[in-house]
Amino acid sequence: MVAPAWICLLAPLAGALAITLLGRRISRRLAGLLSTGSVAVAFAAALLSFLAALGRDPEDREATSTAWTWLSAGDLEIGLSILVDPLSLVMMLVVTGVGALIVAYSIGYMHDDPEERRFFAYMALFVFSMLTLVLAGNFLILLVGWGLVGLASYLLIGFHHERTSAVAAAKKAFIMNAVGDAAFVLAFFLLIVETGTLDYAGVFGQADELSGTVATLVALGLLGGAVAKSAQIPLHTWLPDAMEGPTPVSALIHAATMVTAGVYLVARMHPLFEAAPSVQDLTAILGAVTLLFAGLVALVQTDIKRVIAYSTMSQIGYMFVAVGIGAYGNGMFHLMTHAFFKALLFLAAGIVIHALLGEQDMRQMGGLRRLLPRTWVFMLVGALALAGMPPLSGFFSKDAIIASSLAAGLAGALLTGIYTFRLIFIVFGGEPSPSVRERLHTEHGEGPVSMTATVAVLGVLAVVGGAVQIAGIWHPFADFLDPIVALEREHLALVEPSVTEDWVTSALAVGLGLAGIGIAWRLYGAGRREVAAPRAVRHALEHKLYFDELYNGLFYWPASGIARAFRSLVEGPLIGGSVTGVSSGARGLGRGVGHAQTGYLRTYALAIAAGVAVLALVFVSVR
Amino acid sequence: MRGPDVTWYLAVAGVLFATGSLGVLLRRSPLIVLLSLEIMLNGANLALIAFARQQGDAEGQIFALAVMAVAASEVVVGLGLIVALARRNVALDVDKLTTLRG
Repeated sequence: MVAPAWICLLAPLAGALAITLLGRRISRRLAGLLSTGSVAVAFAAALLSFLAALGRDPEDREATSTAWTWLSAGDLEIGLSILVDPLSLVMMLVVTGVGALIVAYSIGYMHDDPEERRFFAYMALFVFSMLTLVLAGNFLILLVGWGLVGLASYLLIGFHHERTSAVAAAKKAFIMNAVGDAAFVLAFFLLIVETGTLDYAGVFGQADELSGTVATLVALGLLGGAVAKSAQIPLHTWLPDAMEGPTPVSALIHAATMVTAGVYLVARMHPLFEAAPSVQDLTAILGAVTLLFAGLVALVQTDIKRVIAYSTMSQIGYMFVAVGIGAYGNGMFHLMTHAFFKALLFLAAGIVIHALLGEQDMRQMGGLRRLLPRTWVFMLVGALALAGMPPLSGFFSKDAIIASSLAAGLAGALLTGIYTFRLIFIVFGGEPSPSVRERLHTEHGEGPVSMTATVAVLGVLAVVGGAVQIAGIWHPFADFLDPIVALEREHLALVEPSVTEDWVTSALAVGLGLAGIGIAWRLYGAGRREVAAPRAVRHALEHKLYFDELYNGLFYWPASGIARAFRSLVEGPLIGGSVTGVSSGARGLGRGVGHAQTGYLRTYALAIAAGVAVLALVFVSVR
Repeated sequence: MRGPDVTWYLAVAGVLFATGSLGVLLRRSPLIVLLSLEIMLNGANLALIAFARQQGDAEGQIFALAVMAVAASEVVVGLGLIVALARRNVALDVDKLTTLRG
């Protein structure tokens, strides 16, 4: 169980290193295949590890393996160790499975890019980083993975480094994440002081003994990291901008895997979160607020990828609600199905963008249903799964959460229906727009097999992926995770919805989802016109409720103002002034002393003679 | 046979040194300046040897020999410079060689 996990972890690293070191000695196509191959090997290894775990007793599916002691300071010893348990196995399978499909898709999508090799090396590096994160056996390795995925995300968002907007988006993502990372690290310091260890088992064993304040602070720090990585309010503004990266990157990092790391983190650290109930509530509240906020903003976005990005934020909001109320199994379940259908949506959108030669503005699209028939089917499957329609995967996973969270969940279901099908109707419905006729590249149509085949596989997964768990009847997924994420405290025990309640809320959610689709049809499908909304509301939504403006006002403008003031008041006169002062002083002194050099030999001789005479006089008189 | 008193020698040495110094300070030809320098050194040598004789040991004589060696090398360098100047048709006048003016 452990050996394949090591292979799974190291294969993508080997792939990334091989592509980097071989450089131009291998063809671009081989670089793509190498990257895909290494991630596929990782998936096979993850599968082996999973099967080995299934063969064991449910209580015995947890194994730690330490390669060596990585660093030790005083009593603190930190090993280079991985932890394989049902939770990390689920994440391994999702990351490597979806990852392999998306990297394979990129072979077609990135075909014309001059820097393909760099792209594939980064993708493999990302998969390695994400596996480090999920397999980490202690907090420090977790932090390493946490930082590495941030780095890979930064590199890939800024992949088109010739575009200033991409570079700015990459920096924004990195800085927002750094804010979260700082909170994260502070929590670790507190843990070292309080518990004297960074091993999961050691810390979780002492979680009950932490005082209330310490537990709250630690959980808050961890939540800060999770919120930044998962783009939840208030550290969410980087995710829509991250769509500057190539579409496969958006699919893999900013939809399927990295942004769900926060959910994984809360599930992994649940003993700490349960020791701080107020922070747990905060997690659920932030999730609920984000879920509604992102759903509303998605209604007015015009960039096809940004609509999907906001829906990602909204769906992660669902997962945060789930892990915040202690339904870790449901949160992880939605994480998995979301990875399938959101990757599907992104990759299908990638086919549309690829076919339209890079056009991303939905207002320029239309009538693609007949022109890209297969993509239309894929997109529809993804959209129905996202909107939680039975019997697609989103229905099972989302309803499980809605059943336990109600109001926000139901409102979210309605919004999801509207914004998803707004996208579908605008892009695929109606007659082809002039821009589409002009741009559509009939020859490469829906792209090479590597693109359509991988999207088809994801489509199948999005349809059947939900079948591993059906509320109240069949729940092997929850059973598999149960030994790890079972609630440990009685007083927090979730109000377990009964089977009837479950089905009632399911029916409600599906009804609301259908209502959302109906509204979208009335507004965008049948009429195909801009919706007349009060200008203030529309304006606020188009500005994403002014979060960017707020942060500019709160942080950017004061910081740049202070910098400017320092430049004109301190840097210029004091620092620069002192340097030029010293140099001009030395120059003046030199010029003054230089006058003593007359160039006349006799002046020098006289000076020497006079000097000697003075010395002689001094000696004589002192004696 | 003690010969004249050390004072006489010192007087001659002083005259030689003063003659040399005046030559260095007043003459404009580099060749004469160099000669005058030699006269100053010889004045110093004479004083050294006179004191050595008065003290009755050889230290002063050894010092004088060392000064002569230094003077010889100095003359080589000095004359070389003067020859080089003359070859380049530069005026042999210390008042005109003022490149080092600051």
